Amino acid sequence: MRRMFALAVFLLVAAIGIGAMAQVTITIYADDTRTPLLRQVGADYTDATGVLIEVIEFPNSELRSQYITATQAQEGPDIVVGANDWVGELVANGLIEAMDIGARSGDFSSAALQAFSIGEALYALPYAVENIALIYDKDVVPVPPRTWDELLAIARSLYDPDTPMYGLVFENTSANFYQFFPMLSAAGGYIFGFDEDGEYDPCDVGVGNEGAIFGANLYKSMIDEGLIPIGVNGDTEQALIEGRNAAMFITGPWRLVNFQNADINYGITRIPAITGPDGAYNIPKVFAGYQGFFLSSFSENKTIAVDFLLNYIATPATMTALEEIGNRPTVFLPAVPSSPADLLAFGDQGAFSVPMPSIPEMASVWQEGGNAIDLINAGTAPSEAFGQAQQLILSAVGCP
Amino acid sequence: MDPRFTCTMRSQSVLGLTFKIVSLGIIDSIGIWGAVSLAFQSSYTLLTLLILGVGTLNVVILSKRAYPLRYLLPGLVFLAAMVVYPLLNTFYVSFTNLQTGNLLSKDTVLHLLDERYYLPEDSSVFDYSAFSDDADALALALTASDGKVWIYETEELREADRSDPALTFDDAGTVQGIEGYEIVEGIDRYQILSRLEALAIPRGDQYLRLSGINEFKAYRKQYTYLAETDQLLDRQTGLLYAPIDGKFTAEDGTQIEPGYQIWIGGENYSRVFGNAAIRRDFVRVFVWTILWSLFSVLFSFSLGLGLALLLNDRALRFRFFYRTLLLVPYVMPVFISALVWRGMFDVNFGIINRSFSDWFGITVPWLTHPTWAKATLVFINVWLSFPYMMLISLGALQSIPNQLYEAARVDGAGMWKRFHRITLPLLMISLAPLLIGSFAFAFNNFTLIWLVTSGRPAVFGAATPAGATDILISWTYRIAFQGGVGNQLGLASAISVLIFFMVGTISAIGFRLTRQLEEVYK
Repeated sequence: MRRMFALAVFLLVAAIGIGAMAQVTITIYADDTRTPLLRQVGADYTDATGVLIEVIEFPNSELRSQYITATQAQEGPDIVVGANDWVGELVANGLIEAMDIGARSGDFSSAALQAFSIGEALYALPYAVENIALIYDKDVVPVPPRTWDELLAIARSLYDPDTPMYGLVFENTSANFYQFFPMLSAAGGYIFGFDEDGEYDPCDVGVGNEGAIFGANLYKSMIDEGLIPIGVNGDTEQALIEGRNAAMFITGPWRLVNFQNADINYGITRIPAITGPDGAYNIPKVFAGYQGFFLSSFSENKTIAVDFLLNYIATPATMTALEEIGNRPTVFLPAVPSSPADLLAFGDQGAFSVPMPSIPEMASVWQEGGNAIDLINAGTAPSEAFGQAQQLILSAVGCP
Repeated sequence: MDPRFTCTMRSQSVLGLTFKIVSLGIIDSIGIWGAVSLAFQSSYTLLTLLILGVGTLNVVILSKRAYPLRYLLPGLVFLAAMVVYPLLNTFYVSFTNLQTGNLLSKDTVLHLLDERYYLPEDSSVFDYSAFSDDADALALALTASDGKVWIYETEELREADRSDPALTFDDAGTVQGIEGYEIVEGIDRYQILSRLEALAIPRGDQYLRLSGINEFKAYRKQYTYLAETDQLLDRQTGLLYAPIDGKFTAEDGTQIEPGYQIWIGGENYSRVFGNAAIRRDFVRVFVWTILWSLFSVLFSFSLGLGLALLLNDRALRFRFFYRTLLLVPYVMPVFISALVWRGMFDVNFGIINRSFSDWFGITVPWLTHPTWAKATLVFINVWLSFPYMMLISLGALQSIPNQLYEAARVDGAGMWKRFHRITLPLLMISLAPLLIGSFAFAFNNFTLIWLVTSGRPAVFGAATPAGATDILISWTYRIAFQGGVGNQLGLASAISVLIFFMVGTISAIGFRLTRQLEEVYK
């Protein structure tokens, strides 16, 4: 009796399994913002070709680790939506596949293609770029500062610890090396240099060089004066925006919703230029993060996946829609930008940006750079903090 | 046998028997379904474990001799699956170099590399038509740019002969039909694309493979695996790659990604003990972990016991109300309360510092100064754990007979003497194991440390990501997932094994000591 019951269950399950196998399916992992759009485009693709597109939604913070875990267990999706700094780790682990888009590469900005390539191999189909910039309250600061001295003057005049009111705020906890980078880069700091082939040279680290320390000293003088609050994390920054506790923020498009919630008349411009030790007038560079669609190396339907990406995602309609819902400027050249004002304004700073290095050694940069910010916040001298960071990065990477 | 006893047994057993059959049937069918799926996916480890688990369950339920085990069995099964198996796996991984770039097995990597092809310069491009027959077998007609037509049928490639009666050609010279097959056109082609993609039709030293939806191209395999010397030859560049430390490396240093996991013996352990800087970090984190656990348990126990003694007094009114209120910290989810405390202790905007600066004009660097951060963490942990201590003390206090106190009072013992001669020793007998358990729990209390400070503030001169408030487990986590070149799971496993031995030793010593306490009662 028990045996027949088990047999019946087995046959039923087997039938369902075989039935499910009959339909070709492409699985995509995406975050909550992009999933609805991808499902729509996927439905169009299914109508045209009969291939099912299944989009599985994950919270942004888990997308990368879920993809890695699932793909290693060979249960992963065919396509995943991610950022360009994933490339190094995923390629090192053999989890993504290079794609050949042939002549279509002319449709994308060369910086975007570069950000997703290692050597000649392109590892993702880019669709958007994001960078931080200076977002300011036009009612408090009608004319944004163009130089750092102007910014300091505004900050000093506005600073009031009781309200509290600050001139400038940006996230500066140990998890925010990304926001801190413009301070280092203005006078000449950089992350990794390039070798003769144009590849990142992990042994050429510029986090603790003269220019970087000059910028860090500038930061320290500001926090000593109290002009910038220390230890500001994401939640605190959102609270400060919505509470109108600061005139200017160095942050990215992800915070625009907070400005809109507080009905602030905001403007976006580039970060003021810092006069370097040699008197040169340098506009700080920020990290440019590119977003794209990766192809899994364990996918069994790579041809269909690439076909879907090239013919249904890489179209002006889809790219424009992605830009609208994601609030990030597109890197697809034939697309007509739809929310020009804000997104083009981020491009002011975007012209002064460097792609986030995607090699796995970047992990130690985030770690040690963050620690250095922590130490400076607690009182260590910037030259020691970033000098140590540079040494630790070199030793973690295994350089001489 | 007493007839009443037999009757009860029999009437119970009908219901029990039905229940046993049904539940065993369900478990067995789920087991069979799971085993079949696992077999299809070739996950043999999990398959073996599943068969062992379900098999043991069947034996225990059905065999008369093993029947008494049935109460232990669920616990044992979960113990094996969730404690023993991860333990053994961690042991194994600690002897390997599992990390970013070395996550896959050598077989998987060789398989991946075997699937890499490159396009030679003189590659030919083929248009194709696909055909399938009733049994879903595929056939292809490939037309090269020079006009030659090739037929791929029953896994063999042959040049098409115009005079072949099985083939129908159209005016342009492309194959329109093959006898016994139907052409696959339009949308239907998408359903077979994955099978076409998996094809690699050998033609001489080249392979014809699908390139895009509409074409086949002639590729060459990029790598040849030379089994005798365990080396890879890159046929495009001519470089020879030897396996070094889990990556195929050429003489000039270039490496093939991805690498694979290899056995490296005790190298992870020698890294932990050998590297002076890592040793320094290890000692510092270890000392803080011990102090953290000690202070957490000591202060929370003192507070809990004190409150329990107060609440034990029958003369106190609204005792129940106080007890319920004091339970709140224990009942609230740690995630919420830890994050709220972190917000309150925020140096610039937290309510505590704002109040302090309003009332006293000072601000305290709660979470940014190393020592203050440690004190704050102990405070939060005491707040979270004292209700538990209060509850167990209340329970244990009930077990002390009142006559002992009466006798002591008659003998003239004061309150303090009564406390530390009678109450404390007797409490310790029952509570000492729980205190040791709390110590072990605090030793590995990743959640609280991570939520409040993430191990920060950073320490100047640390060689590894070890902050001022990092305990061993959070330090291991940071090395594992935020380390130098990405995840370093081998090194983190080695440290985890060391933590296991440390906690095990401390617990064993602790249990030995509590056995001595039992002398007091006698």
